Amino acid sequence: MMFQSRIPLLGVVSLLIAIGCGGGKPSDASATTDPRDSSEPSTIQLAQAVDQAAQPSGGGAGSSTIHGQALFQGSAPEPTRIKMDADPQCALQHKEAVHQQNVVVNPNGTLQHVFVYIKAGLEGRTFPTSTQPVSLDQHSCLYTPHVFGIQTNQPLEIINSDSTLHNVNCKPTKSKPFNLAQPMKGMKTRKTFTAPEIMVKCACNVHPWMAAYIGVLEHPYFSVTGEDGRFTLAGLPAGQYTVEAWHETYGVQTQTVSVGEGATQQCDFTYKAQ
Amino acid sequence: MTVVAHIRFATPALLVGIVSAGAFPCSVAADKPTPDLSVGEAVYQQSCARCHGITGQGDGRDAKRLYPKPRDLTEGVYKFRSTASGTPPTDEDLFRTVTKGLPGSGMPDWSHVDEALRWQLVYYLKSLSSVFADVPPEPLSLGPSPGQARVDLDRGKQIYETLGCAACHGTHGAGDGLSAATLVDNWGRSTRSANLTQGWNYRGGSDPELIAMRVLTGIDGSPMPSYAEAASVEDIWQLAYYVHSLQQEPRWTMTPRVPYLTGSLPETIDDPRWSLAERAEIRMRNTIQREGEANGPSSVTTISVQAVYHDEAIRFRLSWYDPSEDRDEPVDALALVLAPEGLTSDATSLQVWPLRDALALDLCVWSANRPEAREALVTSYEPILQGAGLGIPVVSHAVYDTGQWTLLMTRPLRQEQLPGATQIVPGRALALAVVIWDGGNPGQRAVSMWIDAMLQPPTEPSRATGWSLKLVWLLAAVVLFVSLGVVLRRL
Repeated sequence: MMFQSRIPLLGVVSLLIAIGCGGGKPSDASATTDPRDSSEPSTIQLAQAVDQAAQPSGGGAGSSTIHGQALFQGSAPEPTRIKMDADPQCALQHKEAVHQQNVVVNPNGTLQHVFVYIKAGLEGRTFPTSTQPVSLDQHSCLYTPHVFGIQTNQPLEIINSDSTLHNVNCKPTKSKPFNLAQPMKGMKTRKTFTAPEIMVKCACNVHPWMAAYIGVLEHPYFSVTGEDGRFTLAGLPAGQYTVEAWHETYGVQTQTVSVGEGATQQCDFTYKAQ
Repeated sequence: MTVVAHIRFATPALLVGIVSAGAFPCSVAADKPTPDLSVGEAVYQQSCARCHGITGQGDGRDAKRLYPKPRDLTEGVYKFRSTASGTPPTDEDLFRTVTKGLPGSGMPDWSHVDEALRWQLVYYLKSLSSVFADVPPEPLSLGPSPGQARVDLDRGKQIYETLGCAACHGTHGAGDGLSAATLVDNWGRSTRSANLTQGWNYRGGSDPELIAMRVLTGIDGSPMPSYAEAASVEDIWQLAYYVHSLQQEPRWTMTPRVPYLTGSLPETIDDPRWSLAERAEIRMRNTIQREGEANGPSSVTTISVQAVYHDEAIRFRLSWYDPSEDRDEPVDALALVLAPEGLTSDATSLQVWPLRDALALDLCVWSANRPEAREALVTSYEPILQGAGLGIPVVSHAVYDTGQWTLLMTRPLRQEQLPGATQIVPGRALALAVVIWDGGNPGQRAVSMWIDAMLQPPTEPSRATGWSLKLVWLLAAVVLFVSLGVVLRRL
């Protein structure tokens, strides 16, 4: 009788331990099917590589979600037209006018290219670094994506898709910087950033309007607003977090968000026209 | 063995010894001293702090007058290295820069400082930035030079095109590429791509090996990227030899000869008779146009001066690199300054003219937005630069091509219409100087030192005609002898 009654007790204790330690060791988190498991390429990872900007983040360590919008109040400034006189090859590739990407307001009143990430609340946890390369493309004399995130030591693959010289001049202050020439179409290089940094700027000196901003984080909880102005941080463990939004023109905003196990929490940022 | 045999063997051996000793690069230090940071710091404070600042942050008291700015040594970003992009220089790289300086910039050479002290300075520099401890230098290798016999300039030119060098350096290397005007360094300061025709201005040195190293490693902190992943070492060597071939031969002389011509003066800039006139290259110093800091890189660093004259007038041919053609305000302009009567050339320096109570100088000023140059005696530049009607007209003709202005200005020897104007006397030296404004860089003006144009006496034929006449006689004599020989044999 006493033996039989211990099994449910053991079960309860194990459950309590599991809840309390949830997300501590990577192997625990990926014991069940984890779509982010890098050894098995999946459609989600391909989407991550191709369309980093809109891809919601996730580490699979939990099941909570923080999501929201980057709202824009006031009238959007007139977009500045980019003059591509420096390289006729560039001008040829654009039938319509091309505009600066430093302020892009969507028709629904939200702001594009806002980088949102967990700034605090994940201390003490470690996360597997994805070995799937993130792609930075130089295409039609613009960087694609313009703003994106990457984990520390995750490979960044930089490609020149144009038939003209681009130099990739990335200036991290916490990792090794570099300035590499890619004179020919199809040239590729792989780099990594070894330390977290918000944000690393990459520029091309031959085409001075080109800029890309990279958020380097140890964890995978980051997201960039796209044409709908939405961001999603999925797969979070339950807890209290500092969420930060960064925009290249309008700066940084933070909010504190608590989210329960398996719950979803809305968190909007509002930027005002200056 | 006889004495003669001894000499026979000794001389080549001696020659070999001398040549091989000379071949060792001087910068290889036999003994590097043990680091002593207190010594290095003392050297630094005495020699370097003035520009680079007491704490090495590039904020020394002379810094605001310099452009490019003195490097912030605490950031650990160094331009001239033999290492991969983003990695620090080797000790030898730092030693080389300190020893040779960076020609064309405000960094002088410190070769007069004792070698051991220079090494101590290198160790001290390394202590200023954590990058030397955090990031190991990654030396890159160029491999052996292909040697002069295997240099292929056509291939080098092709590589220049394929690697996109013209985007910044221009099709002919004159620093006038389409992207040149908007270049900024990593700190957002305006910078220029090197004018590859001016080897003396290459910061890192002008030999093919040094050029190749720049292409391989890139120039950190500047727009110049590393081609380590984009081109093979063989291609980089050929490119370096091609770039070396673009360098013009400068003729640094302060006393160019001005020949007397019996006929008319050359009418166009391409007239072959300009070859009769000695070409003098003069370095220009850039001075700040307005109060305050130097805020842009120097765009005009050298001017080439030639002149010929006859009984009535002297005609100057002036040529200079200016990356942008500026025909609207602010315009490109040039002032030819003729020293007034009785002025000794060191009595006034264009570096500081005009000061209060300025001496009046005779200026012939050409502007890119006016059809004619003007001459006037003035005590400052503004009246003649801005006033359209001031002074008397001077015949001039200017052409802008491939990053270069070429200007012809004609001035009568006796300028009757302008009281007090400098009179030019045949057979005597004429002290003159040049001031240049680049409309694309309005904060500065470039001034030269005074030079003496040596007008040749009218009776003496120019040296060139003398030589060609002798050559004609020599050829005629040879032809005569040969044909005589043929004729005599036939008889």
